Amino acid sequence: MIEIAPLAIAATDLAVGAEPLAGRNVRLSLAPSAARYSLRARDAALLSAVIGRALPARIGEMVEGIACLGPDEWLALLPAGGVLALGEEQAVSVVDISDRALGFVLEGRGAAAAIASGCPLDLERFAVGRATRTLFETVEIVLFREDETRFRVEVWRSFAPWLWHALAAVIAEG
Amino acid sequence: MSGYRLPAGGRIDRNAPIRFRFDGKDYRGFAGDTLASALVASGVTVFGRSFKYHRPRGLLATGVEEPNALVTIDRGPGRVTPNLRAPSVALHEGLTAASQNRYPSLRLDLGAVNDKLGAFFPAGFYNKTFMWPRSAWEKVYEPAIRRMAGLGESPVTRDPDHYAATYAHCETLVIGGGPAGIAAALEAGGRGGRVILIDEQEEPGGGALADPAQWAWLEESLARLAALANVRVLTRTTAFGFYHRNFVGAVERLTDHLPPAGASGAREKLWRIRAGEVVLAQGAIERPLVFDGNDVPGVMLASAARTLALRYGVAVGRRVVVMAVHDSGWRDALALAAAVVTIAAIVDLRDAVDSRLLSAAEAAGIACRTGHAVTGVRGRLAVSGVEIAPGGTGAAERIACDALLIAGGWTPSVHLWSHARGTLRWDDAWGAYLPDAAIEQVRCVGACGGDWDFGGGVAVPALPSAKPAHRQKAFVDYQNDVKSGDIELAVREGYRSIEHIKRYTTNGMATDQGKTSNLNGLRIASEALARPVTQVGLTTFRPPYTPQTFGALMGHHKDALFQPVRKTAIDGWAMEHGAVFENVAQWRRARYFPQAGEDMHAAVARECRAVRESVGMFDASTLGKIEVVGPDAAEFLNRMYTNPWKSLLPGRCRYGLMLREDGFITDDGVAGRMADDRFHVTTTTGGAARVLAMMEDYLQTEWPGLNVWLTSTTEHWAVIAVQGPRARDVIAPLVEGIDLSPDAFPHMAVREGRICGVPTRLFRVSFTGELGFEVNVPAGHARAVWEAIDVAGQQFGITPYGTETMHVLRAEKGFIIVGQDTDGTVTPDDAGMDWAIGKKKRDFVGKRSLARPDMVVGGRKQFVGLLTDDPAEVLEEGAQIVADPAQPMPMTMIGHVTSSYWSATLGRSIALALVRDGRALMGEALYVPMPGRTIRATVCPTVFYDAEGSRLND
Repeated sequence: MIEIAPLAIAATDLAVGAEPLAGRNVRLSLAPSAARYSLRARDAALLSAVIGRALPARIGEMVEGIACLGPDEWLALLPAGGVLALGEEQAVSVVDISDRALGFVLEGRGAAAAIASGCPLDLERFAVGRATRTLFETVEIVLFREDETRFRVEVWRSFAPWLWHALAAVIAEG
Repeated sequence: MSGYRLPAGGRIDRNAPIRFRFDGKDYRGFAGDTLASALVASGVTVFGRSFKYHRPRGLLATGVEEPNALVTIDRGPGRVTPNLRAPSVALHEGLTAASQNRYPSLRLDLGAVNDKLGAFFPAGFYNKTFMWPRSAWEKVYEPAIRRMAGLGESPVTRDPDHYAATYAHCETLVIGGGPAGIAAALEAGGRGGRVILIDEQEEPGGGALADPAQWAWLEESLARLAALANVRVLTRTTAFGFYHRNFVGAVERLTDHLPPAGASGAREKLWRIRAGEVVLAQGAIERPLVFDGNDVPGVMLASAARTLALRYGVAVGRRVVVMAVHDSGWRDALALAAAVVTIAAIVDLRDAVDSRLLSAAEAAGIACRTGHAVTGVRGRLAVSGVEIAPGGTGAAERIACDALLIAGGWTPSVHLWSHARGTLRWDDAWGAYLPDAAIEQVRCVGACGGDWDFGGGVAVPALPSAKPAHRQKAFVDYQNDVKSGDIELAVREGYRSIEHIKRYTTNGMATDQGKTSNLNGLRIASEALARPVTQVGLTTFRPPYTPQTFGALMGHHKDALFQPVRKTAIDGWAMEHGAVFENVAQWRRARYFPQAGEDMHAAVARECRAVRESVGMFDASTLGKIEVVGPDAAEFLNRMYTNPWKSLLPGRCRYGLMLREDGFITDDGVAGRMADDRFHVTTTTGGAARVLAMMEDYLQTEWPGLNVWLTSTTEHWAVIAVQGPRARDVIAPLVEGIDLSPDAFPHMAVREGRICGVPTRLFRVSFTGELGFEVNVPAGHARAVWEAIDVAGQQFGITPYGTETMHVLRAEKGFIIVGQDTDGTVTPDDAGMDWAIGKKKRDFVGKRSLARPDMVVGGRKQFVGLLTDDPAEVLEEGAQIVADPAQPMPMTMIGHVTSSYWSATLGRSIALALVRDGRALMGEALYVPMPGRTIRATVCPTVFYDAEGSRLND
């Protein structure tokens, strides 16, 4: 029988860092609270009218905090406390998912490489202002490129501790 | 002693000596040496013992195709790596290496008895021998064979190294840094676009490293590559697999070439590369020749001897004989002679050899024997001489020598090409398969594409001999000890396909994946079958090209990061209060909250009593939640679930049962109608993702016209279940905006309001059978609200409870748990849940399957309760049930126990089971045979407590 010593730090011990983490050329921090809405509709004009805001026309684009993730799907990332009309009785779906995810910010010259360590996108071709649902290893994320050297990563709450520590390990490597 | 260090030459740094250990003995080498070159230079001839026969083996090759010199490298505690190929191990100061598969030592190995008894261990011996007595196989033979078999020792401690990983993208990926690859990288680099060049060796150059005439070109080319900003060169990097759409996996070895003390950071890095175009420049591997004695230490590939001399400054012997069927053997012999290695003779099977080669050999003073073949090798731990004969069958002639070089022709490396499903075509001139047509954006350059001049030759399955194959020790697969006689045996025993011959003999199945044995084996099989090679087939090339560490393939997923463990927002409170946890899907959930001195039984009993008598609180946050929104929301749910939804008024809840297309229960959960066009649907914890995927599948592919959308809200809402007769009393002071009185807020209803100032969807639902509420709050506020409920409940003795208590309480009420009481073959009727089917509904997923003959016939297993005769006896979940315990074995099993608990509420055990025609057996006795005893139980209804449900309606 092979005896393996217990891990000093186990998977269950992981938690999102209380403080930002800085490496050689990249910094990881928790984004401030936000309001999040999942918006669905076949008719983008109708949805736009319901919520009273402009919507990006093409998948992958962002307009004032709202990203188009799919042919009938938008994600609104608004300042905390933001509220959108629900569009009752209309052919739209407006769902408050504010607490579903946490946001991480990765900034610095090494931010793209840190994300590329686990994300299969060609980040050199991922222009500023774009957003997409993608993966970091096995964890689903929504990735936003806010600037050449600044990215926002949205991750579901229960996967956040793993992702934080995975990114921390990559930053420590770099 | 045969090998020795040449006074000059090679790319080693003679000013940088290195000390290392092999099998406990100290040796010296130089920076730039490999373990193999340094050992050969020190006169070592035996590098290992073969897998099955424990024959002494020497170095055959100087590349990753090396089958014999498998070593274990020890870099310190937890860092012992077996089965590395000595020519691939870069020498560093203090390197500690050991040979494998021998006891007690390389020179004297007790396992060699297998060689003496070799006649009893042909291919497939374990299919024909060690059969009697049958019991001895499990206890004696198999353990013994296992102990003797195997290559290297597995590590038994945690790997302390860590491994990095990354994705990378490029327009051109060149795999192989030899002359052809370097040229391709320069060309691509000059065109612009991102270029990555990969080579598995310590330095790029490939075959050019063994040809000093090319070193100047090499240096200049590498400098040009380094100057190109768009080109990245990765050395010590093996591209191990070519996957769909130009996706290549590679492992970069970062620190193994350094002394452990000087190594920092990740040990290896996994590169996952997506390329616009892949250029394969993997070169070709020289084939050994098959003849009696071809595995004596000192028998080596001619190109390997050349590499040792010209790249590492090592002579393989003082008096070398070359056996060739190919011009390259002559070229290598001449290069060795020029490097002042004494070549005693070149023997060539061919009668006619290129006259330029013959005259060059003569000028170098090398004796030539064309039209001859080696028929025997003298020596056991080192070659001492060879026997040659005209045509292999004539009168024998002995030549004294201490090394025999063999040149059997060249096999282009088409491994990655084949991973990418490129087709192959046979080429007679090469005597091998060449790349033919690709389906990916990939092309081959250099030798691996057949575009290289090694000269000409013939290809033979084995050298001719007067001795029959089964009496020769003529090896085809060195690593798995497969002889030519074994392949002929397989054919005699009736195997026709190369796939069967491969698996029966294990030819090509070792860690070298047949790099030096596939084609020779194919030729021998082809001759034995009297069928052309192209009709015998070729076995499949599979990743990895060479063995890779688990660590590299796992990348980030190690130790604490092995797998995400999902925790709820309340998990921290549970941990602080001593919860014992269990895993449910990817979540960890509190199972019970033991107080001082309690075991699980005592804790669960206390928790159950507390809920039934007063009030308990439970974290139900892991349950799946889906917001179903749109004008067609009710219509959609009507189609997905068995229940009718259209009549459900906003503010009311209904329990939903979901079937698969085949009519079997797949999930369940309570859904609340928040508005005409908005439902808050719940699923089981483990079924959340599966149910959402199934719903999306139907919505997108079957009913794309429905105006309804699905959003996962599992993680948005935390759920605090407050259950028990005092539940309302606990939450009343905390809730605003909701009338909690029974008339205003009946059972199975949902209201929106605030709790502790936080927005809430408050459900009045019960999985316990007591008055109950499920408080849904946004997860960010969950812990605060939980703590406030805890404080508010103190005066009622509020008790936190876990999943175990939750299971017991629901079982007392006969509620099923999908996946525990169901197993994917249970219909609503089987589960006694016909009531959940909307009889007037035209259609729903699974409806038609419920009418299938198999589903309406009698004799199906039905959900029932069981009460044991002995109330203290708790049945084991999964236990089988029989009607007559006296029947002969094998007994007819009529069902099994699905859930079983001690019920503190009832003061006795309860169980739920699936039993054939169970409902017709109400009140009858059934039997549960267990080891050593049989337990008698009576069939009863599934509801054990408060059958009228009166406690719910307070």
